[in-house]
Amino acid sequence: MSALLAVLPALPLHEAGKYVAGAYVVLFALVLIYVGIMAVRSRRLERDLAELLAREQRASRAEGDAPAEGSADSAGAQSQTARRESTLV
Amino acid sequence: MYGKGLRALSISTVAVMSVALGLVFFWVPLEAEQGFLQKIFYVHVPLAIVSLCGFVAGGIFAIQHLRTREQKWDFRSYVAIHTSLIFGVATLITGSIWAKGSWGHWWVWDEPTLVSFLIVFLLYATYQPLRFAIEDPERQARYASVFAVTAGAFVPLNFVAVRASTAYVHPRVLGATSNLPWQMSLTFLVSLLGMALLFTTLCKYELTAKHTRAQLRALMRLAERRAGASTSAPPQRGRSAAPSLHATAMTANPSEGRAR
Repeated sequence: MSALLAVLPALPLHEAGKYVAGAYVVLFALVLIYVGIMAVRSRRLERDLAELLAREQRASRAEGDAPAEGSADSAGAQSQTARRESTLV
Repeated sequence: MYGKGLRALSISTVAVMSVALGLVFFWVPLEAEQGFLQKIFYVHVPLAIVSLCGFVAGGIFAIQHLRTREQKWDFRSYVAIHTSLIFGVATLITGSIWAKGSWGHWWVWDEPTLVSFLIVFLLYATYQPLRFAIEDPERQARYASVFAVTAGAFVPLNFVAVRASTAYVHPRVLGATSNLPWQMSLTFLVSLLGMALLFTTLCKYELTAKHTRAQLRALMRLAERRAGASTSAPPQRGRSAAPSLHATAMTANPSEGRAR
């Protein structure tokens, strides 16, 4: 790395340096803000998905209580599998 | 499926942008008059070009929407214009910084290129409020498409008008009058490619995120309906500038998504 830096020309960061740095920082700041917004959205999606999964598990548990014992067991097993899968993600 | 190919696109964007930055700061020679300050050119001009092309693309998608009445075109038009606005903000800020360093002023009102870009930007800045002002999603999409087509036609007209004007204070980059050395031209083209890839990647991220959110909402509504919480009431949609995506429209032709 130091050998590479030795052959590269030095950046003339004098008077113009602050303007050039400012222009490039603006671009990267905007991209960074965008990525931050996308992260917030992803978190919200994740939360909604978890809520949906919990709701579905409650519904399948409620359905499983009503019919015969055997089907209730299978519903419970399905619910457990879904919970396991959700924790793996 | 808007997310298809997103990983490859993201990697290409990072790679091309990195190469462009390497060329800008370590390879291309310094310009004789402006020196190091001219490096802003490799970020400001590609931003402006991609932003204007995005506005035109928004208009083309809007034409498709008006022709076919398919929601997906309105959705694409909205995302293209939305991303172009972000690029437009970056163009104006980087341009201002360059003007301050080069001319000693943050803004020069008698420079046609600057003022014309500001006019285009302000015109498109009314796009979101226009959408937000119309509650009915169908009408909102139709009016927004008409706006995008009209404004999209204004962009190249504006560009030609500025080029035809007599004041040539602003440097010309593309065309017969360009006298850039080949190293600068190559670096500029790599930067332009990087910026175009960045635009496409951000658009695809936006499309994927909004599409996934719409699908999730549709799933939640289905779950609610199945649970008997809302059997007859239609889904409530708050006032929003973003296009509404119906689950039926999205799932009407699942094979289309795979082909895309």
